[in-house]
Amino acid sequence: MSGTKMTKSVGGRQGRDWPKHILIILILAVELLPFYMMLQISVKNNAGFLASPWLPSNPLAWIWQNYVEAVQLVLPYVANTVVVAVTATVGSLILALLGAYFFARYKMPFSGFLWAAFLLLMLLPGVANIVPLFALLKNLNLLNTLYALIILGIAGGQVFCIFVLRNFIEEIPKDLFEAAEMDGASHLAQLRNVVIPLSGPILGTLAILLFLGSWNDFLMPLIILRDPQLFTIGVGLIYLDGEYVKQWGKIMAAFFIASLPLIVIFLFTMKLFVRGLSSGALKG
Amino acid sequence: MPLPISAKKALLEWKLYLFIVPSLFAVGLFSYFPAASAIYHSFFRWSGGDVKEFIGFDNFTAILQDHVFWNSFITIGILVVANVFKMIPSIFLAVLIHRLTSDRWQYWYRVLVVLPMIVPGLVTLFIWKFFFDPNFGVLNNVLDATGIKTLLVSIDGLFNWGIFQAGIPIAWLGEPSLIVPSLIIWGFPWIGAVGVLIFLAGLQSIGTEVYEAADLDGVTPFQKFLHIELPLIMTQVRLMFVLMIIGTLQGYGLQFLLLGEEGGPGGKGMVPGLWMFNRAFLAGEFGYACALGLFLFVFILILTMINNKYVRVDK
Repeated sequence: MSGTKMTKSVGGRQGRDWPKHILIILILAVELLPFYMMLQISVKNNAGFLASPWLPSNPLAWIWQNYVEAVQLVLPYVANTVVVAVTATVGSLILALLGAYFFARYKMPFSGFLWAAFLLLMLLPGVANIVPLFALLKNLNLLNTLYALIILGIAGGQVFCIFVLRNFIEEIPKDLFEAAEMDGASHLAQLRNVVIPLSGPILGTLAILLFLGSWNDFLMPLIILRDPQLFTIGVGLIYLDGEYVKQWGKIMAAFFIASLPLIVIFLFTMKLFVRGLSSGALKG
Repeated sequence: MPLPISAKKALLEWKLYLFIVPSLFAVGLFSYFPAASAIYHSFFRWSGGDVKEFIGFDNFTAILQDHVFWNSFITIGILVVANVFKMIPSIFLAVLIHRLTSDRWQYWYRVLVVLPMIVPGLVTLFIWKFFFDPNFGVLNNVLDATGIKTLLVSIDGLFNWGIFQAGIPIAWLGEPSLIVPSLIIWGFPWIGAVGVLIFLAGLQSIGTEVYEAADLDGVTPFQKFLHIELPLIMTQVRLMFVLMIIGTLQGYGLQFLLLGEEGGPGGKGMVPGLWMFNRAFLAGEFGYACALGLFLFVFILILTMINNKYVRVDK
């Protein structure tokens, strides 16, 4: 390991932490360099970038025109992606909650078989599916629609979400369900009044993972979408990368706008991100 | 555990089956059906439409003679090996953060580690593509400024590669022999947010007294890592290792974005998944692409089974 020599100077657990701080900050600085570059280039033109590639330019000389043009280019893509990502995330969670409830509540006849059918899909790499999936969508007349992306997002999220949620619902004390049943609550009511109020954090974590997955997807949208007005951010940026190779400022501004919704979500759910991802990801 | 239920009661609770129907339908239509369709169509000459011609095992015998496909396996093999080494910085960073005394700092460093996740992966890749640009790119700038370029040029002179020449910008994604190195370099310093968080979660089970005892015995920081920290996160390391191998083997988004559908100059960046994509959507050979996908699937399945047998991931 390259850094071991450096840690040698580090003493015990107490005190003398500053060499570790310096190392961590150095590593993170390089890791975050692309985003610093994105931000500072997004307000420069090419000449300004070539003159001083590293340092941010004078705030008075920032070229906001880059953002004006980038918004016009990218905003429709962002809107499409928000529609797809939100619908697919909500849809996935609703279906997965229903499915997980089925597996977690009672050991019904066939539930072992059905569970195995879901688990098997974890082994199935998506790579073999993409070609027949294209043909299937074509037959269903779903090519070149956002519905296709939503449906695929919902179907694709099922296995992982059901897996995580089943474990979670099984941990809920049985008394709670029985009490609800005494009051004559149907299964749907039990799901709504017992499961959902208790599963806020896990649903939040899953929602973030699903949303990120949807937002980052570009291979399926690339195959499915043809009309530019339907493009999601992934396809949109690929076409932009081909068209505006020379205007880096505008491209970086477009990149920033493409990240904006995720940044907003992050600001509101930072704790969920940091805590939830480490525990939630392990369970999967 | 779910409650066992008698057949009679199950009959009364039949409505519960309605809960699983939507998921089952979605998974059946969009996961199982395409998988079955891939197996079926791998025996056909098929261009995605209604017309198809049964050709038996011809697609599979064609795979055996497909040099592009076999070369793509060599490329992906190199990338898998590189990715093993690229796990080291994440482990290193997790251990560093874990060893800090201040919980507040630990939390804020975690936030900084997660921060790159809010920029779409696609955007990060495009920014790296820009870094690789020979004239505008940041990478050449850094190499020039730090003198690494001069070093590379002199090494080149020694071996007569003719790749690095003084005064000529390095064409990272344009020079065939630099394609694979570029695919490895991208993302430096290779910190995986999810990986770091998972490793940190594993490290949390180490109590302070273990460190104090180690300090009393005069254990060096590296020995601490080998004997205290590494054994405790071995489960997490194995998990990330398995996920990395499967992800690398079937992934082709990276190569597609950086190099395009043909795998860059000379096809040096061609990987199995990209070749399947290329055959289907560029050449219109859907049947052949199905056979390629099936081959890849069986390959990954065998690896997964070997892995389950020998490398146990205990939960």
